[in-house]
Amino acid sequence: MSYVFILPAFALVVALLVLPMMQNVYYSFFKWDGISPPLFNGLKNYLAMFTDPVIAGSMLNTVIWVVFTLVFPALGGLVVAVFVTGLRGENFFKSVFFIPLTISFVATGIIWTYMLGRELGVLNGVLALLGIPLKPSYLTSVPLNTFSMIFAWTWQQLGTNMVMFLMGLGTIPRDPIEACIIDGANKWQTFVHVKFPMLAPITTVVITMAMVNSFKVFDIIYVMTRGGPYSSSETLAISMFRETFTLFHMGYGAAISVVLSLIVILISAAYIRRMTKRDMLYY
Amino acid sequence: MTRWLRKAPVYAVLVLLTLMWLLPVVSSFLVSFKSSEDFVSQTFYQLPTQIYFFKNLVTVIAQYRLLDNLGNSLMYSAAGTVVVIIAASMAGFSIVRLRPKFNFALFLIIYSGTLFPFQMYLIPVYRLFNTLNLYDTRTGMVLIYSAICIPFSLFVYRGFYTTIPREIEEAAKLDGCGPARTFISVFLPQSLAPTAVVALFQATWIWNDLLFGMVLSRAQSVRPIMVAVATMTGYGGGNIPWIMTAVIFTSIPTILLFVVLRKFFIQGMVLSITS
Repeated sequence: MSYVFILPAFALVVALLVLPMMQNVYYSFFKWDGISPPLFNGLKNYLAMFTDPVIAGSMLNTVIWVVFTLVFPALGGLVVAVFVTGLRGENFFKSVFFIPLTISFVATGIIWTYMLGRELGVLNGVLALLGIPLKPSYLTSVPLNTFSMIFAWTWQQLGTNMVMFLMGLGTIPRDPIEACIIDGANKWQTFVHVKFPMLAPITTVVITMAMVNSFKVFDIIYVMTRGGPYSSSETLAISMFRETFTLFHMGYGAAISVVLSLIVILISAAYIRRMTKRDMLYY
Repeated sequence: MTRWLRKAPVYAVLVLLTLMWLLPVVSSFLVSFKSSEDFVSQTFYQLPTQIYFFKNLVTVIAQYRLLDNLGNSLMYSAAGTVVVIIAASMAGFSIVRLRPKFNFALFLIIYSGTLFPFQMYLIPVYRLFNTLNLYDTRTGMVLIYSAICIPFSLFVYRGFYTTIPREIEEAAKLDGCGPARTFISVFLPQSLAPTAVVALFQATWIWNDLLFGMVLSRAQSVRPIMVAVATMTGYGGGNIPWIMTAVIFTSIPTILLFVVLRKFFIQGMVLSITS
């Protein structure tokens, strides 16, 4: 009886996610165009990735995404959460950063494509208003295009991280902070020595999620540049899509996705282990 | 006064950030109210010479047949969320309370579905759907959306059901309720909070999906809304006032859902990250 209750969920997930995942690993060892029968070619797909200049560029872009996601939306979220707490107008500022969370990545991508347009875009319009004689082409020059998209991503993601840090700050007990103040510690010292260490669990989650999510970014890049021009703004997630569904290099695409997944799992390993450990305690 | 002065730099930065965050929102709305002529001849901050939003909307709906895609996505969001609520609440109840053998292993297998990037499933699912004739069908879309949403939803229900006191269940058992009766008359009526969290997050996720829609559908009668909106841009950027009108129009359902279920958002965030 108990298995009957699990069956629908289990069957759907195993048939459409777990088994396909294993199959995907299997395909990554084949040369396959999706139509003719797959040809086994061992590790050649993986080896090809190391000599593929497009994949190298895409790796570099992925690293840029990860690093700057940690700097802007993650660290930015912490800074905003700390400074906005207890401020007059706190709720107003919080809801401002909240707005982008209610729309899709596709919408964000389109809005920022308009903002960053060269001739009729808002940003260059503001530059002209300020009398700055610059007219950058945000989405076609390299590496500016990657940074422009990270900016759009920050606009959407900062609110999420802010909410998490606000939650964390809310759970810190008053006593140790008051003790600090009595001992004569200033605000900065209180933050560094008491608040920040107590935020550690949330910080871990935010950092893990920020890294994992920047490896998964797809929609924003697809909408804003399609990975172009000439694959210059691709990340691994986009390269996989292009190799698989535009060039029909199914085996190669599968290999890229396996590498992508390995990196993601590696990053979240510590976090998953902690989670399962805590859950085991419950069982 | 001195206190205010000390806070001044903080306010300055926050106001600057606020402007940066609101500028895209305001300019997008403004553009959607402009005609193509106004858009080309004006600068971004000028007001439109006439209110063109509804004309843009009518044009977009007629030219891109957006209502088809809107209907599709409405169906996927509704059907997918219902399937997920049923499947995940049942599984959560079983894992927490019926305790089958290997319940933790079963949970981990299902939960592993959220760990990997979606790219890991695309090729095999695309192939599987082709052999099962599910490619480019609405049934196929509902199935894959449900499967993707189950792991997180199961997590939500499982977490919630551990907080329901066992005494209630024992009482039901004494009254002669079997597991099915206990689930329906004891657990389900108390499941409002997790169900709201699941509905908010999963309906929004399905509505906003681009990747699976692009890979698993082709026909206008199957393609979800975000794919339709994303392909409006093309390489040249397309007609910005039209596209922006479409963006605003197609964002309304998720924004409404968000407003209605607002208080469950934080709860869902807590669950999704402390998970």
